Amino acid sequence: MGWAWLIMLLATYPWLLGADLASDVLARGGFVVFISGVCIVAPCRRLRPIQAIPFAACVGFLFEARRPIPDGVLAFTLVAISIFLTANKPLLRNAPGLLRGAIISNTLACTAWAAATALALSTTEAPSSNSTLTHFALQVALAALIGAALYIPISLVQNYAMDRIGVPPAADTP
Amino acid sequence: MDQNRRGARASYVALTIFLAVWIFMPSTVRRFNREAFTEFQAPGLHLVSKSRDLARFWELKSRSSEEMALAGRDLARVNAALELKLASLDDVRRENTRLREITRYTVPADYMSVVARVATRDSSSWWNRIVIRKGRNDGIRPGAPVIFGNSVVGRVTAVHLTTSEVDLVTSPGFRCTAFLEGDDQNSIVLINGLAGNSLRTPQARISVIPNDYSTGTLQSPKAFTTGMGGVFPSRLVLGTVDLDSKATKPGSSFKEGRLNPSRELYNLQEVSVLVPLHQNPGEALLQGDQFQ
Amino acid sequence: MKEELPGKVLPSTPIDRLRLYGVFFFFAIGFIYVSVGLGFRQLVESGKLKAVSESQSRRIVILPPARGRIYDRNGEILVDNRARWSVKADLAALQKEFRAEYLKLLAAEKAREAATLDREKLQENARKYVLQRWLDKIWFVIDETNKSAKSSRIKVPAVTSPGERFVSIDDLRKHLRERRPLPYTLVTDLAFPGTGQALSPQDGMKAVARFIEQFPVDGPIRLESDIIRTYPHGTLAAHVLGYVKDSDELPPNVEDLADTKMDSLQKLQYSGKKGAAGIEETFDTLLRGNSGWELWSKTSAGYNQNRLKVSDPQQGSHATLSLDWRIQAAAEGALSKIRDPQGTVLPGAAVMMDVHTGEILALASQPTFDPNRLADRVTNTYFKEIDDAGGWLNRSIQGLYAPGSTFKIITAIAGMRNKVVDWDDILDCGPSFRVGNRDFPEHEPAGYGQVDLEKMLAVSCNVWNYQVGLRTGIDKLHDEARRFGLDTPLLKTPGDTENNYKEATALPYPADKRLVVPDPAYKLKIGGGAWTPGDTANLAIGQGYLLTTPLHMACVAASVARNETRTTPYIIHDLRGGTHPGAAPIGLTTAQYTALKSGLERCVEEGTGKTGKIPGLPYAAKTGTAEYFKDGKKAHLAWMIGYAPAKDPAVAFCVLIEGQLDTNTWGGKTAGPVVKEMLETWWPIAVKVNLEEKPDAAR
Repeated sequence: MGWAWLIMLLATYPWLLGADLASDVLARGGFVVFISGVCIVAPCRRLRPIQAIPFAACVGFLFEARRPIPDGVLAFTLVAISIFLTANKPLLRNAPGLLRGAIISNTLACTAWAAATALALSTTEAPSSNSTLTHFALQVALAALIGAALYIPISLVQNYAMDRIGVPPAADTP
Repeated sequence: MDQNRRGARASYVALTIFLAVWIFMPSTVRRFNREAFTEFQAPGLHLVSKSRDLARFWELKSRSSEEMALAGRDLARVNAALELKLASLDDVRRENTRLREITRYTVPADYMSVVARVATRDSSSWWNRIVIRKGRNDGIRPGAPVIFGNSVVGRVTAVHLTTSEVDLVTSPGFRCTAFLEGDDQNSIVLINGLAGNSLRTPQARISVIPNDYSTGTLQSPKAFTTGMGGVFPSRLVLGTVDLDSKATKPGSSFKEGRLNPSRELYNLQEVSVLVPLHQNPGEALLQGDQFQ
Repeated sequence: MKEELPGKVLPSTPIDRLRLYGVFFFFAIGFIYVSVGLGFRQLVESGKLKAVSESQSRRIVILPPARGRIYDRNGEILVDNRARWSVKADLAALQKEFRAEYLKLLAAEKAREAATLDREKLQENARKYVLQRWLDKIWFVIDETNKSAKSSRIKVPAVTSPGERFVSIDDLRKHLRERRPLPYTLVTDLAFPGTGQALSPQDGMKAVARFIEQFPVDGPIRLESDIIRTYPHGTLAAHVLGYVKDSDELPPNVEDLADTKMDSLQKLQYSGKKGAAGIEETFDTLLRGNSGWELWSKTSAGYNQNRLKVSDPQQGSHATLSLDWRIQAAAEGALSKIRDPQGTVLPGAAVMMDVHTGEILALASQPTFDPNRLADRVTNTYFKEIDDAGGWLNRSIQGLYAPGSTFKIITAIAGMRNKVVDWDDILDCGPSFRVGNRDFPEHEPAGYGQVDLEKMLAVSCNVWNYQVGLRTGIDKLHDEARRFGLDTPLLKTPGDTENNYKEATALPYPADKRLVVPDPAYKLKIGGGAWTPGDTANLAIGQGYLLTTPLHMACVAASVARNETRTTPYIIHDLRGGTHPGAAPIGLTTAQYTALKSGLERCVEEGTGKTGKIPGLPYAAKTGTAEYFKDGKKAHLAWMIGYAPAKDPAVAFCVLIEGQLDTNTWGGKTAGPVVKEMLETWWPIAVKVNLEEKPDAAR
């Protein structure tokens, strides 16, 4: 079962790729369809921490790889979130809890990379203008919205995959 | 559950330690990590882009023959017009060669042109990028200019085995020099991708425009590359210029403006990368640099 | 979280609950403490704190305005402002690198087990090495492109000044002491490094473009652009235009910033400029414009944090000079061709002015200087170079010279007006003339024999003038010279006539009190003894104590051309095209005036000025060769004044060359070619202007 996280990653990757394609459509408006935060919620509920952590790190690194985000910012944020979630599994015990978790973790992760990028690039381009702040806010709001909208389909796929590879169901499922 | 808690505490400690190690890790390790995750995604991007091509192909294939005939007729007309133009260009070319021989002018900067399909676009406040389906294997190097027709698309920022990332003209990471149409003094202006524009077509900032420059009778004057910086060939179109009176301080010695890149920039299917035959010093610097 | 969870998950015990309350209580106390403290500070102490923080944490940065442009009469830009691109390092962003380098140096030092560990020194070195590495990268980008460019047409910018290649530890120390919050300048002028002058503008722009396009965008190295004074024509009219130098004087509108207490750092970034010579100096207040300022808050380390308020600078007014750059260039070019046997340019001056308006078309002086090299950093070597050559002196308005034979025009007019001679009187002129017990020589050993006014002017006969001068007498001769304004300062300062720029013809430090038209009282005053007839004879040929400037003599020529006694020169172009205000007429009969003019014309046609003859353009002139003493030995000044065309005068001119001990300097022969070149440049321009103004006249 040690490789469960890798299989989960492969099962999640189509979603990440799909998000990239959606970003492509939104590119003119300057928005990124960000789902990395949502992707880690369902696995965190069922995987052991030792499995959930590398999974979260990989999801983060995948998003960062092609973007000028300071190395590791998103990955470590996701890892931190996944540690928290695996330690507090009761929080994810029912549907509202899961949805809340998805929204919060997606928003947090999005805020983390956006803020880190803004700070890293501020030496040349001061993030002074109001429009940058507005955009920042809109991007985060979009992330929250996507978290809410995409959690269920993503978790369906992920749960199916976990069922297939024999990950035990969450202990406290009502 | 208590066990869980304890485990979590240990995990947080481990995370902190790992984070500290990560910060002081040599940049090569991080670069390798980045590279690995990019390469992992490359097949997916190729697949997506190729299926898009396939979809386009089937879409075209499903057109009726009447439509094709009409399109064929239109093309024939365009073709005829271009033939005429080509003939006149021949004379110009001959004259140009003659003049070059007289003045012993050697054409600087030779480029190898690599045509590449666009895989995905990605933009935010902090970057405006496209990923193209050609990479190190095809001889692409970072810093190479990317064009479409005679207009500038951007510059290659990162190169992987089979894919490359291109910073568009509107990306904050993009910087180049330009001449403005209608400026007889040919003063150099600075083009910088502009950060933070939501729900609007991305633009770039033009700064250091001489105060006496005015667009005059030109409706939307163009900005051209200067060809002086050793990266872009000269006279490529960067976009059209809007003088921005709000951004210009009254009484300051420079004006500011906005550059609107050509509309195709966000619908591009294919671009050409101009890889310089000789490595320029900026590239050499990039390779030894911690950025990227 | 604990309290949200059902008891099933976490066994809830009274002890736990107690602990929970304890924690709550602790936080509540903390919260109350913070909010009460905050409230107290905000409400009670706010006034005091605000004052403290304002004086400690704010800073004014002054933004110098762009100076106004200076144009010539045709709208050609003589002085402009150009973009200067400088490369700066953001020291705050480099802190990490400094620290890493310092630790490395420290480790190395410890490994060496050095006896004394000078941490301060190590820190300095660390900063220097880091900045030097970045500087090397910058030059790498610029230089390597030059090398790899195959075309040999691209020249490698010759960077002579090491200041732009190496980080100077003294500069760095000074920067950290005085302007730590500002970025440190690595390269001041990327386009023209070190020299402040153009190798070729194209090459300069290439260097800038290379940096922009090839240097990494991210990072602590920034590109900043500002405006610098530039003189596109280089040395052209340098004496008239002047140059600018750094000024620490705070502009008045910044001093009025009453609402802010400015600390000792108030002058940060203030490198205002002020005019240091020429028009730049006299019209400084107009050209300068108004400074702007920025109010910043600063961090505890002293770096700028937020910009709180801005007031924008305003560009100064433009000035339009009466000069025509083409004629000016011709005059300077012709002057610079006259050299001594060693090839050094002879000092000289050339003036050309419009007869009808008094506007100066050319005002040249050699040797000269390049104001571009003085616009920013003046090197001591260049300053001294100019000083040694005597290049600071504007000889056309500041140089005092004996006018020599050109003064004979005034002697003749004095004679005729006082009726001691008439235009058709023929005087007998031998090879010399005896005054008292001294023989005053003729410059032609054989003498000129029978000489009338016209012939005198054509051949510049001395003996005729001795006779007429003595007959007229010193008082009348002196009066006549003064009537033509030879000792009247010509240039007013703008301060005298603030509201009328047309009146303000000023260039700084024109010759004024030192102008001399001698009389017996003057000779007594300087301790020369009693006035003798010999002195009168000397004055009659423009020698002796008489001292005037080339501009004065050009005005004399212009006045004669208009049959008036005075001409007021202007250096500011009157865009409305006004004419000269006019002056008292000379007071000669028509016959006398006609003879005077035809004598001057014959001077060019067949006399001493024939080297300057221009086919198709008859003009009038009077040459002169004056003696002066250089290092106790006799040397000669070559003069030529006159007006053109002879029939309908439009311009007047004056050329002066200072001969040296080893040069053969001779009136028309030396000065003639300069006059010729100026007139040959002016003539086509005048014809073209005439055709444009009166198209019918062409047919």
